[in-house]
Formats: sequence, C-alpha cells, structure tokens
Amino acid sequence: MAQAPATGSWDYLQRMPRYVIYLLLAGVVLWQLLAPIRFPIVPSSTTRDVYKAIRAAPENKLIIISVDWDASTQAETGPQTAAVIRACFESGKRFALMNWTAPMGAKLANDIARPIAEQYHAEYGRDWCNWGFKSGGANVLMAMVKNIPETMGNDVRGKRVTSLPMMKGVRDIKDIGLVVEVTGLAGVTETWIGLVQGPYQTPLTAAYTAVMAPGYYAYTDSGQLKGMLVGVKGAAEMEVLERKPGLGSAIMSAQSWGHILILALIILGNTGYLLARGRARRERA
Amino acid sequence: MRQTVLKLLAPTTGTASLVAHLAAALLVCALLLFALHRLLGPRGRRWLIAAVTFAGGLFYGLEYFLPAHGKPEKNFLTPWIEPVSVALTVVFAFTVGLGIYSLCQVHGRNVGRRRPGWHNSLAFFAAMVAMFVSGLWEHHLRLPEPLPAVVPWPKGVYEVLFNGLYGPLQAATFSLLAFYIASAAYRAFRIRSAEAGLMMAAAFIVMLGQVPFGRWLTSWLPAAGPLGSLRLEVLGDYVLTWLNTPAQRAIAFGVAVGALAMSLRLWLSLERGTFFSEQS
Repeated sequence: MAQAPATGSWDYLQRMPRYVIYLLLAGVVLWQLLAPIRFPIVPSSTTRDVYKAIRAAPENKLIIISVDWDASTQAETGPQTAAVIRACFESGKRFALMNWTAPMGAKLANDIARPIAEQYHAEYGRDWCNWGFKSGGANVLMAMVKNIPETMGNDVRGKRVTSLPMMKGVRDIKDIGLVVEVTGLAGVTETWIGLVQGPYQTPLTAAYTAVMAPGYYAYTDSGQLKGMLVGVKGAAEMEVLERKPGLGSAIMSAQSWGHILILALIILGNTGYLLARGRARRERA
Repeated sequence: MRQTVLKLLAPTTGTASLVAHLAAALLVCALLLFALHRLLGPRGRRWLIAAVTFAGGLFYGLEYFLPAHGKPEKNFLTPWIEPVSVALTVVFAFTVGLGIYSLCQVHGRNVGRRRPGWHNSLAFFAAMVAMFVSGLWEHHLRLPEPLPAVVPWPKGVYEVLFNGLYGPLQAATFSLLAFYIASAAYRAFRIRSAEAGLMMAAAFIVMLGQVPFGRWLTSWLPAAGPLGSLRLEVLGDYVLTWLNTPAQRAIAFGVAVGALAMSLRLWLSLERGTFFSEQS
C-alpha cells in the first residue's frame, strides 16, 4: 500500500517512510554488533530460579533438555540452549537432549552442545547424549513417562539409548530430576505440565522467546515452572551467573539499542501527531 | 499378544529386512484400504472413523484415570501405552505422506498447465527432491561423530542445503519480523485516547525493564526502600507479574474450557468438519 506523502515537518515525523525505519534499525543493530556499548547485565529472579533448579537437580537423576525450536528462533533459543548446557556441565549434571515438535532442533542443539562438551572434557554417552527427534507429538511424552528406553529407541548417532552408560538405571520419568523446555512454540509447556509436571511432580523449567514469555508468568507464579529464561536477555543473564559471557551478552547490546530506537521512533511519531493536531485545532479556530 | 504387537512395530535393521517390511506393510495397507473402500459406504466409513476415534480417546482416558499400583506404577492398560504410541507415530507418518502427495498434486498441476507463478512450483519440486535425496543419502552414510576432516560429498551437499540454505532462510524470514514490528510500533502507537496512553506507558516500562539500558537508566535509585520500587526493572516486573499474569490466567482458563469442550466433541465425533459435511 502506497504511503501518503508527508506534507510538513510535523507530518514527516509521523509518516516517516518505511525504508528509513528499516535502515535505521539495521544500522543500529550492525553498529552494536561491531562496536557494542554495553550496560551491566543483572540477572532477574526468573533466570536465577532456572540456574538454581539446574544446580539443585539430584546428581543421580538425568536432566532432559527439550530443544523444541528451529532456525527461525535460533537467535534467542540458541544462546539459551548453550547457557543451559553450560550450567549442566558446570554443575556436573548429566543431561539428554530431546525434541518432539520442531525436528530441526535436535541437530541445531547438537551442534551447540558438541563444542561446549569439548570445553568441559565431557564425553558423549557418559555426561550427555542426544535422543534426537521423536515423532508422535504428545504421545511421545505419554509413552516416555512410562518407559524412556523403549520410547526413545535410538539416539541421533543410531545407537540404542540403552547402550549409553549414562542411561544405566534410567527407566521412566521418576529417573528424571529436571526438565528444561527451550522453545519458541506456544503450547509445548502446557503439554509438559499436563502430562509430566502435574501427574509426576517432575520439576520443570523453561526458556522462551521474548515475545511469548509474558504468557508464562502465570506458571512461574503458581510454581509449576521453576523459573524461566526470557528471550536472549535470559541467556545473557545465565551467562552472567556462569561468569562466561557469550553470544547472549553480545546480542543484548544490539537488542538494548534496538529497543531504544523503537522507543525514540514512537516518541517522534507521537510528537508529530500531537503537534499536527494542535496546528489543525488552531487553524479551525 | 503385546509382545507380538511390539515385535511387529519394532524398528528393523538391515536393508533386505527393511525392504521386505516396507513392501509387506504397503501391501497390507493397500489391501486393507481397498477392502474398506469397497465394503463400506459413506455411512459405514463414518461409523468406523467415529469408533476408532472413540476407542483411542477411551484408551488414553482410562489409562490416565484408572488407579495404578506396583513399582513402576501401572494399571492393566499401561503396558499398551508404548505400542499404541508407536502405532500412532506410524499414522502420523501417513499424514506426512498425505501432505506430500497433496503438495505434489497442487504444484504438479501448476507446472503442467503453466499457471502464473509455475516456476515457484518447479522450485518446490527441485527443493523437495534435493533435500529428500541428500537427506536419505547422508543418513545412509552413518558418519561417526565428531565428523572426519574430509567428509564424503553427499554429506557436503546435505550440509550446504540444510545448514547453509534452509537454516539461514528460515532465520532470515523470522528476522524480517523485527523490521515490521519496529515499523508497526512507530505507526500504530499514537496517544489518541487515555487507554492508548496507558498502553503506551506499560509498553515503555516493559520494554525498558527488559533491557540493561533501562536498568541502567534508573540505577541511581536505591535498590531497597520505597524509591527502589520506582526502578524500571521493578516496575517492568510489576507489570508482567501483577497485571499481566491475572489477565493471562483468565485467558488460559477460557482457552482450557473451550479446549475441553472441543476435545469432547472430537472424541464423540460430534465435530464433523469438512470430510463429513462433504459426505452428507
């Protein structure tokens, strides 16, 4: 749809062409990625709760990291996954990656986990594993709570999960100490709560894209979620807690300045609108 | 019986065994579908679908609600959860096949009749075949992890298509949203009424409270005491937890009641949908 041309400076303020906004945003993001101006990052209570939940998970139980995301949300869910994996390795907790919604997540998360595992000298099969994508939607969770080895079958490397040393003694959901759901999809958490957290009291924590997080404060408030990571901010805050600044912290300054630009644009638009309205009123009078 | 079903549904290894299983499964399915198609009229099909839907819902409902005993806790239906889930996964796989068939039909027609934009349909076929062949080939190679320094070329092709093309394309599409949101926020947020002003104030507080810059802006205020509650991150947290949460909870209750009603209608086949309306 063609935009009406701006007739005066006040009008221009409220009818700035789209390409100007796009260029400004691209410029700000690029500037901050190349030469960031950083502000101190202080972890929020929801992020602290995630960190605490990982550290408090029993040593003799597995942590499941359900990576239900794909490339579309990787800018947020990628750093979140990395931060959660790092927290697991740091506290010496064994974890399994799994995926039951967006198939791409199992591979992308695997690519994230491998180099981090090398940094911590962690061994595949002993300290971590990847059960891969399992088709079947909520049925996967329904079957998994009763029998993990049979439901998971083979891992991403084609080995039976029962052949992995870390899976020794893992039978059903009672052997899981914590579930960390990393997702950009709505409805996934509700399924975990309905089928796993509620009936079996398995602790559940989550990481969401910033846009969907407001819908889940009700679950942290009720205690059904042990904290949550909100967007890339959550990842950056986890990195602060781990004292290992990474991709999340780097993206945070670009996001900060992006927010500032959008707020400045809204203020400019409203200034133009109010001034133009005042002028119209004066002209009518 | 459960063991026989599990054995039948268990993953098979070895190319010959896989091919034999696939051929047998295809033959049985084709015969079954043919027989059902010939023997059942529209009314019979409707009843069959309704009966299977009801049995499926009843199975999961009973398994969930019936008391469980022993260690691990289970009732008489629990051992069947796994084979039923595998069977459902197979049904899901059929729906993927159906989706691919439907896509091929639509795009095949576009290409065959040279409809406007037919080249997009051709791109669909090229992309599907390329991903399908390279994906299967890569899977067949069963390369060890970590990957060797020099990878076979089918793996290289797969990596280029998946990591180099599909991933970035998906990420780029989603990234465009940031630009649209910036433009939409600039255009839509106008203080035309008191309500709009209130919404904008909330948006400002939450947006600033979510980024380190906002926290820095009011960092000069003491962290504790009455003035501390005026810090942007505290105000943002207040909006999200005290104002947003009850509203979200109310929506969730509404959605849950609606979902329950809809599930009941689906389970009892009261929700007929397009298939049945076409039939009648």
